[in-house]
Amino acid sequence: MKLSFYPGCSLEGLAIDYARSIDAVFQALDIDLIEIDDWSCCGATAAHSLSEAMSVILPARNLSAAEQMGLDIVSPCANCFNRLRFSQQMIQKRVLDIPWPVTGDLKIHDMTRFLAEPAMIKQIKKRVLKPLNGLKLVCYYGCQMVRPPRITGYTDYENPQTLDRISAATGAQVIDWSYKATCCGASIGIARREIGESLTKRLLDKARRAGAEAIVVSCPLCQSNLDMIQKDRLEIPIPIFYFTELLRLSFSDRGNPKWFKMHFTNPVLLLKTKNLL
Amino acid sequence: MQNIISDLDQAHEHDPGKKRKLIGDRGDYFLNRIQGETGTNVSACYQCERCTNACPVSYFMDIKPHQAMRYVQLGWREDLLKSSTIWVCLSCEMCTTYCPNEVGVAEIINHLRNIAAHSSITPKEKNLAVFHQTFLEVLRKSGRVNEFRLMNAYYLKPNILREKIKSGSFKEELLLGMTLLKKGRLKPFTSRSKAIKDIQKAYLQARGEIV
Repeated sequence: MKLSFYPGCSLEGLAIDYARSIDAVFQALDIDLIEIDDWSCCGATAAHSLSEAMSVILPARNLSAAEQMGLDIVSPCANCFNRLRFSQQMIQKRVLDIPWPVTGDLKIHDMTRFLAEPAMIKQIKKRVLKPLNGLKLVCYYGCQMVRPPRITGYTDYENPQTLDRISAATGAQVIDWSYKATCCGASIGIARREIGESLTKRLLDKARRAGAEAIVVSCPLCQSNLDMIQKDRLEIPIPIFYFTELLRLSFSDRGNPKWFKMHFTNPVLLLKTKNLL
Repeated sequence: MQNIISDLDQAHEHDPGKKRKLIGDRGDYFLNRIQGETGTNVSACYQCERCTNACPVSYFMDIKPHQAMRYVQLGWREDLLKSSTIWVCLSCEMCTTYCPNEVGVAEIINHLRNIAAHSSITPKEKNLAVFHQTFLEVLRKSGRVNEFRLMNAYYLKPNILREKIKSGSFKEELLLGMTLLKKGRLKPFTSRSKAIKDIQKAYLQARGEIV
């Protein structure tokens, strides 16, 4: 199976560990991810905040490049996925003139939903060498992956299940909680720290109360927000995993502590006490 | 009786000294403009406050989301563009998703932010606006946004560094940046996209310049 891959800017820097675990997981699943030729930024929040036209035009360039490759797109980043889908709908409605040849006919997959299809879950279960037994997790989706439903196509946007299904397939114990899709503040913490902190603190608090030992995410910004705020806190740290990191861990009989060295909250201790590393 | 009515006419919700504004003092012009440009039905809003209750940051807003919808209906353009609401909004789409009347609250607030960005009104949350601006500048320069370049460019904007030092958060953020560099999560050098020229051109066209 071949898919075109739109990594997004974060996977070159802040979330480089996410990129590495994705490579490992897709290699194990025998799926070829081909990076979109000379991709550019999707514009993220800044583009739609300041120039609505650019928020359609910028992702369209990548859609056009993927169309020339003729492969459906898979995006690991929640915001990139949202912006690509939004641009695709605007192109189909012919709201704007796009300077690149683009039809908007390709399928755009969000990586979690792609891997949570029943057929893929079967494949994942087949490849699990070491089930993550006894690891108590909550899954956190954030906003951009599930909302607004008319763009993302999620029907269970109030209680999304994709990450839950994938984490359960690795053998971990997935706990239900009410803050799956509550916003983490995104980039607002850079300019208005108190707003960002109030939102992320609440999420960590609720996860702790739900009895979670770790949080599973799929968005680079959610990961860094939830992770960095814990750098000098006194409470019991809650490691924040990308879901592909858990898959990678369960796919290998002996994990490597080096995979997690980029995290602020070091998960090695937790994994060792659970006999998973 | 006479007094009460004249008092009501004079009173203003936020500023008692201000004269009460009349409904539709500019007709439906602003309402129709917003509805046309965003393709959403603001008139359908009946002030149930579902959006405000769902909003994770409504606490930090001066005009709450449901009030913003009312302001649009009444054509109070300047109050909206001067508000912190339009900049604090995270575009998390809670309001739009849960609106019983399918009013695109987040889309409208986002569109107001666009209008404010192209107006002469100084944004109430200037730092948030400057951050978005910096993001687009870095994007235009290299086609992709490198976090290291973005943060450097943001700190070099006027007043940002001074405010950070004043509030005492600068040292902590500097240390955080160093740790990120050490951990390899900030990359000073990453590849640029070849599309810079195309993006620059598209940007000028979107601003209405003939290229």
